[in-house]
Amino acid sequence: MANKEKNFTSAVIYVHNAQNYIEDFLRMIIDVMETNFEHSEIICVNDASDDNSYEIVKKISSVARATSVSIINMSYFHGLELAMNAGVDLSIGDFVFEFDHVDLECDRNVIMDIYYHALKGYDIVSASPTQKEKFTSKLFYGVFDKFTNMYGRMGTESFRVLSRRVINRISSMNKSVPYRKAVYSNCGLKTDNIKYEAKKSNHLISDRKEKNYRLGLAMDSLILFTDVGYRFSMLMTVVMMFVSIFMVVYSVVVYLTSHPVAGWTTTILFLSIALFGLFGVLTIIIKYLQLLVDLVFRRKHYNFESIEKLTK
Amino acid sequence: MKRFDRIIIGAGLYGLYSALFCCQRGQNVLLLECDPTPFRRATYINQARVHQGYHYPRSISTAMKSAGYFERFNKDYAFCVNRGFDQIYATSSRYSWTDGRQFKDFCRAANIPCEELHPKRFFNEGMCDGAFLTREYTYDANILKNYFVEQLSKYQTNVEIKYGVNINRIEKSQDVYQIYTSDSEKYCTGFLLNATYAGTNQILDLLGYEKFGIKYELCEIILCEVNEKLKGIGFTVMDGPFFSIMPFGKTEYHSLTSVTFTPHMTCHDSIPRFTCQDRSGGSCSTFRLGNCNDCVAKPATAFPYMANLARKYMREEYGFEYRSSLFSMKPILMSSEIDDSRPTVIRTYSNNPTFISVLSGKINTVYDLDEVLGDG
Repeated sequence: MANKEKNFTSAVIYVHNAQNYIEDFLRMIIDVMETNFEHSEIICVNDASDDNSYEIVKKISSVARATSVSIINMSYFHGLELAMNAGVDLSIGDFVFEFDHVDLECDRNVIMDIYYHALKGYDIVSASPTQKEKFTSKLFYGVFDKFTNMYGRMGTESFRVLSRRVINRISSMNKSVPYRKAVYSNCGLKTDNIKYEAKKSNHLISDRKEKNYRLGLAMDSLILFTDVGYRFSMLMTVVMMFVSIFMVVYSVVVYLTSHPVAGWTTTILFLSIALFGLFGVLTIIIKYLQLLVDLVFRRKHYNFESIEKLTK
Repeated sequence: MKRFDRIIIGAGLYGLYSALFCCQRGQNVLLLECDPTPFRRATYINQARVHQGYHYPRSISTAMKSAGYFERFNKDYAFCVNRGFDQIYATSSRYSWTDGRQFKDFCRAANIPCEELHPKRFFNEGMCDGAFLTREYTYDANILKNYFVEQLSKYQTNVEIKYGVNINRIEKSQDVYQIYTSDSEKYCTGFLLNATYAGTNQILDLLGYEKFGIKYELCEIILCEVNEKLKGIGFTVMDGPFFSIMPFGKTEYHSLTSVTFTPHMTCHDSIPRFTCQDRSGGSCSTFRLGNCNDCVAKPATAFPYMANLARKYMREEYGFEYRSSLFSMKPILMSSEIDDSRPTVIRTYSNNPTFISVLSGKINTVYDLDEVLGDG
C-alpha cells in the first residue's frame, strides 16, 4: 500500500484473562496497524492474567513484521484504569488507541474511522456501540452527568484514540487518573464520539475480579468526580431544617393549647434544634473532606513486574 | 613458525592499548584483526561516553570504578575528548528504576558532581522528575584510532599488525599457543590475549575454554544532525526504557540511542546465532562474527521509534534529523541484568603459556589491563 499514514501510532490493549478473544483480536490489530500506518507499536498490558493470555500474546506477536509488540506485566491485579495508565505512559505514538477490552464487537474499519475523525481536529474520539446501554451503565452515567460540572457527556465506550497533546495535558495536570474517561472529558480539549453498529451482543464481563473492580470504580468515581455526597447531605440538611422548624412550631402550639407532660416541650425543642445542627455540621465536614480529596489526591502509582519487547 | 612475546586478537581499543603497552616495554607483539582497519566495531560504534559512573545508579561499584579512571583517561587522551557540551541526566517520572532524589543521593555517595536543574527547562511537563547537570564527556574514536596507529608506527620493529586475517585454529602445546590463520600463516606465543569483545566466545570456543555468560544484541546507533538549541547539550533519560541523544565525539553529529529500540535482535546462545547471518553473503556466521556495520543484511533503521520516544520527552525547540545509522554487535554479561552494572571481566585461562580474555563495555576501564599485561 503506497500511502500509509505517516503518524506514529500506538495501540494499548488491556489484557486480563482474555485467552478466548486475544488471539483474533491481536491478529486483527497487528493487521490494521501494519496496513494503515508506516510506523506503529502495540502495547499489551497484561493485568496479572492467570490463564494463557501471556503465552498467546507472545505467540501471536511473532506474526508482526513492521510493527513492534511489547507486553507490560503488572505485578498484581490493578484493574482497567491503572493498567491502562501504565500502557499509555509507555506509549510513544503521536496518536494512541486505547482498547479497554479485546472482544471488540465492531467492524475493524471503525478503528480507522475514529483515527480519521481525530485528524479533523479532535483530540479524543471514542467509539460506542449504538445498542442500548445496560441499565446499570445508564444509571451510573445518569448520576455522573447530573452531579458533575464537566461539560462532556460520557457514555459506554469500547475504545478511543487520543492525541499526544491530550496525553501531555493530562500528565501535566499531575492529578489522579483514577478514572480516565472522566479526566479525558474534563481536559478542555475537543472530544467527539462515533457510534457504530454492534456486530454481536454487548461486551460481557464474566471475570469476578473485574466485576468487583468495576463496581468499586463506579462508586469511587462518583465520590471523586462528582459532588453527589455533598449535594445529598445538603439536601438532607435542608429537609432537616424544615422538619426542625415544623417541630418547633408544633411543640410551641401543643404547649400553648394542651398542657403536655412537664419536660416534653423542652425535649422536643432540644432534639429538633440539635439534630438540625448536627446535619449542618456534617454537611460542612463533608464539604471539607471533598476539598481535601481534591487537594490531596495525586496520581496513583502502579507496579509492573516487567516490560518485554516481543518483536524484532 | 614465527614466535612472538605477545599475540593480541582484536584491534579495538583494548587490543591497540595492549599492543602499545607491550611494545613500549620492548616485547615483540603481533596484533590480529579480521577487519581491514582498527576501531571498526564497538570501540567506534557506541555512545562514545567517557563514563564517570552516572550511568549506573544501581551499581555503585561500577560507578566508582568508572569515576576513578575518568580523570586518568581524560588526561591521557585529552586530544580526543569533547568536553564542550552540557551533559544533562534526567530521571523519567514513569517507569524509571531510579527517581530524581535517588539519583542525587547516588551521585553524592559515588562522589561525582551533579547540579540539580529544573526539568521543565528541557522536558515536556510531567515527563521527568529530576534533571541534573553532570560532568561527562564523549570521546572521538577516529582521533583516538589515529593516535594509536601513529604511536604504534614508532615501534615498527616490535609490532606487527595483520588486518583482514581470520583465525582458523588455535592449539595449546607445551609452552606456547599456536595460531593458524586464514592466510595460511602460523604463529606461536607464550602470551595470548583475546580482546575481541563480541567475538570473545568464538575464540574461546576454538580452545574449548569456558565461555562468558553473555547474550548478544545487534545494536543501532543513529547519527543525527541537530539544531542550534541542541548543539551544546547531551540528554540522557534514565533509568529504564528511555533514550539518549548526545554529541558523538568531536564530530558534528549527535548519537541517538534508546534502551528499547537500539537492540534490534537478541540472542541468548553462548555463541552468536542470528537469522540475518544466512543473508550476510558468507561474511558472518555463528563461528565467525562479521562486521554488522559493513554487512549487507543489516536491519532497517529504528529511527522513527527512537525519534518519537525522544520527542515525547524533549521540548519542541530541540530539533534533530536523521543522518545515518551504525550497527554493531554488543555482548552483555548475563550477571549484570539486575543491577545494570558493567564490570570489566578479565579471565586468565592458563599460565605459561598464558591465555587471557577480557570483556568490558566501557572505554575508560582499559587501564584494568595494566595488571595482567605487566606480569608474565
